[in-house]
Amino acid sequence: MSEKVGIIAYGIYIPRNRITVDEIASIWGEDANEIKSQLQIFEKSVPFPDEDVATMAVEAARNAMKQWGGEAEKIGAIYVGSESHPYAVKPTATIVAAAIGAEGETTAADLEFACKAGTAGMQMCFGLIQSNMIKVGLAIGSDSSQAKPKDPLEYTAGAGSAAFLIGKQDIIAELEGTYSYTSDTPDFWRREGATFPSHGQRFTGMPAYFDHIIKATKGLLEKIDRKPEDYDYVTFHQPNTKFPLRVAKMLGFSKEQIENSLACKYVGNTYSASSMIGFAKILDEAQPGDKVLVTSYGSGAGSDAFSFKITENIEKIRSRSKTVQYYIENKRNISYGLYSRYKGILKV
Amino acid sequence: MEPPKIWRERRERYLGIGIICEDCQKKNFPKTRICPDCGSENVKPYKIAERGTLKYFTQIMNTGDELIFNTPYIVGLVELEDGIKVTAQIVDCDFKELRKGMKLEKTFRVLARNGKEGLIKYGFKFRPI
Ligand SMILES: [Zn+2]
Repeated sequence: MSEKVGIIAYGIYIPRNRITVDEIASIWGEDANEIKSQLQIFEKSVPFPDEDVATMAVEAARNAMKQWGGEAEKIGAIYVGSESHPYAVKPTATIVAAAIGAEGETTAADLEFACKAGTAGMQMCFGLIQSNMIKVGLAIGSDSSQAKPKDPLEYTAGAGSAAFLIGKQDIIAELEGTYSYTSDTPDFWRREGATFPSHGQRFTGMPAYFDHIIKATKGLLEKIDRKPEDYDYVTFHQPNTKFPLRVAKMLGFSKEQIENSLACKYVGNTYSASSMIGFAKILDEAQPGDKVLVTSYGSGAGSDAFSFKITENIEKIRSRSKTVQYYIENKRNISYGLYSRYKGILKV
Repeated sequence: MEPPKIWRERRERYLGIGIICEDCQKKNFPKTRICPDCGSENVKPYKIAERGTLKYFTQIMNTGDELIFNTPYIVGLVELEDGIKVTAQIVDCDFKELRKGMKLEKTFRVLARNGKEGLIKYGFKFRPI
């Protein structure tokens, strides 16, 4: 890699409402303790009726802008990855551009690749910056996912957003390498016009999540000649807590390396934002010199793996914006009744 | 919810762009072509403060069918740190949590959705800090 490129600031957003696994299980007469021990998720985030992927993307982007302190006009690319964009035609990225004052000379697009559309945007920004086409890029993963009532996904399908500013100046996490793995795997899908997604039940595990994350992570480690023990932190896509813990073990990472990144326990699966929020949680506490490995997973299917080295600049930008822990703790619990009103399940 | 109006007013709603008068230095929101304080046409865009204090508030319980899922909602008068007063929705809290004088900050939310097929209008509201 020639010139250094990396993360220059980041911000996240999680809506304030939570619904517990116990509350959902009580509606369907299921065993909450068994579900909690299986998924190791206790509650999930729920947006208010006046929140959507665009509003959450704007909140995360504004947090990142505040941390960065730079001028919005310098942003040359805005990508918003999501599987729940508010419009089928009319880019969320344009709304974000206007809401952070970055309209004008910039390229923008919405991306779709299930839960890895946000990291796909990060990779595009790294490429544009390394080829000197732009100076600063903004990559966002934002989702407010739908789950059919009583579907196992109802326990985990949460909402949240993460935004990463990428550039060459004042890097806080320097990119050491990236590697992706893609295949045509039908583990999870939603047809145009369908309200709820469908999935391949048990098929979502081995040939999908585990196979792609393992291939992308091993591919990256081999490419940059690293071993799992070279890393201080690792995080993966978090559809529940069990999957990332298990894939970490399969790859030879310890529980200590991954544990602190698992925000999913308290906010659920935030889809495109999931591995990015995990990465943000690591950045909230990482020290200069630390090495971090991040691998996303998107159904359909593919994984993007990234290796980062934390720089001294991280200490300068801390405390300028809200942490992941702030959003985890700033919550209120709601009933299934209110949840069904907020999610539009209740009809009049 | 006409496209030209939504487009024309987006910076006002998204960023809180009002005016500052270059003759009398007074700030105003929403923006006007002429300064409401001195009548001067010598006005330029001004971005209102991000934070403020809650002055008055009320809860709207009844609306038309199209807003039924958003009720009840709270409307408040907020005095911003730059002295500008704006009326806006207060979100992320229950009515009983609100107190006169509490600190609020701007947030970005959906203001209205034109049915299932029309445009979505976005803009600022306020939430407790
Ligand atoms: Zn005047």
